[in-house]
Amino acid sequence: MTDEAPESASVDGPPATVRQEPWEVFRQEKEGDPMTHGGSVMAPDAELAMHYARELYGRRQESSRLWVVRRADIGVLEDPDLLQPPLDRSFKKPGGYVMRDKLADARARTGATKKVASDR
Amino acid sequence: MTTTRLGLAAAFPPDTLHALEGLLGAMADDELVLGYWDSEWTGIAPMLEEDVAMSSLAQDEIGHARALYALLGELRDEDPDHLAYDRDVADLRHARLLDHPRTDWAFSIARRWLYDEADAVRLEALAGSAFSPLAELVGKIRREEVYHRLHATAWLRRLADADGEPRERLLAAWRTLLPDAATVFTPLDGEQRLVAAGVIAATNGELETRWRQDIGGTCRELGLAVPGPAADPMHGRTTHGEAVAWLWGEATMVRRLDPEATW
Repeated sequence: MTDEAPESASVDGPPATVRQEPWEVFRQEKEGDPMTHGGSVMAPDAELAMHYARELYGRRQESSRLWVVRRADIGVLEDPDLLQPPLDRSFKKPGGYVMRDKLADARARTGATKKVASDR
Repeated sequence: MTTTRLGLAAAFPPDTLHALEGLLGAMADDELVLGYWDSEWTGIAPMLEEDVAMSSLAQDEIGHARALYALLGELRDEDPDHLAYDRDVADLRHARLLDHPRTDWAFSIARRWLYDEADAVRLEALAGSAFSPLAELVGKIRREEVYHRLHATAWLRRLADADGEPRERLLAAWRTLLPDAATVFTPLDGEQRLVAAGVIAATNGELETRWRQDIGGTCRELGLAVPGPAADPMHGRTTHGEAVAWLWGEATMVRRLDPEATW
């Protein structure tokens, strides 16, 4: 018995000819949950991307469904002029209306009790 | 549960029970040794994602071994860890196909594909086993093996279809592995009794023929030789050689420090 692994192989990285690209992985924790972004994997094609997504985001039974999408196929919108325009847009937000007191009054009138999140 | 399982096994004549223990031990040793070889890729696989994948596959195989040793342990009323680890390398009964070291990536993929396809045939023959605890376990193992085979086949195709170095390395692996590929089906002592008792659906000889039929199409399509009979069938599961002696030293190193330690 020796200390060295027999016929130890070279551990070069993948050859330059193998083109890899990023794939985005979305996961659903359990049936009915929304799909959320889990992360990404590098893979040369859709089949291996699916295998790697399974290993990185599902091998511990933490997912009930995975979506694997080539990053290049995702439409991206990030133009601040479209998403974060400089003029005041506060009138488009619902924060202007304070509902809390009105709801309390309405409950008092009808005798309803306050709903808690788990009742929804 | 234990009583039921032992009760089921006690219904077999002693010869049949002995053969059943041999079958469980051989399968468990196959999975354990392959799991340890493939775990040698952890940290140095060709890319990060594949590193995680291969390590996870290796863990799956060791998990299958663990479940098989547990079943064997119930039959013999012995501790599964003791059955698995407190042995000399000469007492291992894995197939000779698994004697070869990890070598390079193409070699590990070729071996895994040859073994997984053989294992699939063996598992199919056990799916309806008259020894129901084994049928139950095999049902679970087969569900994990679906992914293992997809992974191995995906890589085999990529290596075989690539020109130059990847295909050359695969062909080199094929030349080394082919004489030992069929050793997964080395006949086991008393296997006729297991067939008669309905523990397994067919003899190893019949399973080997099925395996060759199953993989023949893919081999021909990829321009790879179809494995013939084992070159040394008398030592299909014995006389394991230096590489496995090294691996076994690694695998049992910590346990040998203090076999009585609890973790």
